[in-house]
Amino acid sequence: MSSSQTTTVNDPHLDNTTTTNNDTLPNNNSQEPSTSTDSSQYRSSTQYSFKPPPENSKTSTKPDLDDNEEEKRDDSMYVCNICLDIAKESVITMCGHLFCWPCLNCWLETKPQRQLCPVCKAAISKDKVVPLYGRNNEKQQDPRSKKSPPRPQAQRTEPDNSQNYQGFQSFGDAGFHLSFGIGAFPFVFFGSSFNFNDIRQRNGQNGSQFEEDQFLSKVFLWVAIIFFCWLILA
Amino acid sequence: MSCPAERRLRKELLELLTNPMPGIYIDEEKVAKNINEWIVTIEGAEKTIYEGETFQLQFSFNEKYPFDSPTVLFIGKIPVHSHIYSNGHICLSILTDDWTPALSVGAVCLSIRSMLSSATKKERPPDDMIYTRTCSKNPKKTKWFFHDDTV
Ligand SMILES: [Zn+2]
Ligand SMILES: [Zn+2]
Repeated sequence: MSSSQTTTVNDPHLDNTTTTNNDTLPNNNSQEPSTSTDSSQYRSSTQYSFKPPPENSKTSTKPDLDDNEEEKRDDSMYVCNICLDIAKESVITMCGHLFCWPCLNCWLETKPQRQLCPVCKAAISKDKVVPLYGRNNEKQQDPRSKKSPPRPQAQRTEPDNSQNYQGFQSFGDAGFHLSFGIGAFPFVFFGSSFNFNDIRQRNGQNGSQFEEDQFLSKVFLWVAIIFFCWLILA
Repeated sequence: MSCPAERRLRKELLELLTNPMPGIYIDEEKVAKNINEWIVTIEGAEKTIYEGETFQLQFSFNEKYPFDSPTVLFIGKIPVHSHIYSNGHICLSILTDDWTPALSVGAVCLSIRSMLSSATKKERPPDDMIYTRTCSKNPKKTKWFFHDDTV
């Protein structure tokens, strides 16, 4: 499947003809392909006329409802893995997962240091995704070259989140412990109400140790200098 | 047009209501009132130590969902499990570090249910006392140190 996609992508001529075709397509109903068109355009426009004739489409509007489920099943192949809509400005990753470019781009920007495929966690990057061009896209423009649409970039309301938090009784205070988790376990164990003192005491110890070390190194430095002078003088 | 987070949540809701997952029930009334707060009931799977028990999960979404993970915790009766603290916080990597926008409410419920199912002993995490006294109200603010990757 991926091979067929890449062939269409890699054929710029085909892209050009399809874009120019857009204007001539309505003429197909009159079954007179414009004479001025070159052979490739002619071929593609006749292909187009194989598609459901207008009469059929009128009669099929009612049974459409029954076909809906089947259509849905077919469509689900083209659903973006992030917004769960049919992918727009679709791109496909090297691992074969389909996204809207705006959706994927937003994800890449939220975790710039760890760019992973949302579905399978393969490493991905902006340069290694392949844009998908369908038959009749209005503009066969690489979605990545466009500026990402003016998405409402979320406001930073993280702290808000914890305030709005409902249905939760307060547990102690929420401020000081963030970095504790499980890592700091042994320190905390000395007794919950003495957390701070304890750590400070330890810090104090560390501090005096540090001073001692500094003093010793100074002493050694002076000894070395005196020894050096003695060497020179002697 | 509604914001993308809401749009996606409505899609997920529709999907879960039309194709319900076994042992996972959504409080439709609550969700209808506020699409950003879900209450999901999880049934302990058969032939596990939680068989016959039901638990409630609270999901809160912000406007950056699905790029930002939902806040998920147990409320009410908290299952006794080595990765679930007595205040309802859950030590599960997909809720923080390993979250991706391709995950969903359904996927989270499924993985919590299988976390429960794989337990052989009902016990609290070893650091439950200390953690629950010192932690933030928001489990997403905890720097989790994941016990093991298998769960
Ligand atoms: Zn999308
Ligand atoms: Zn992938």
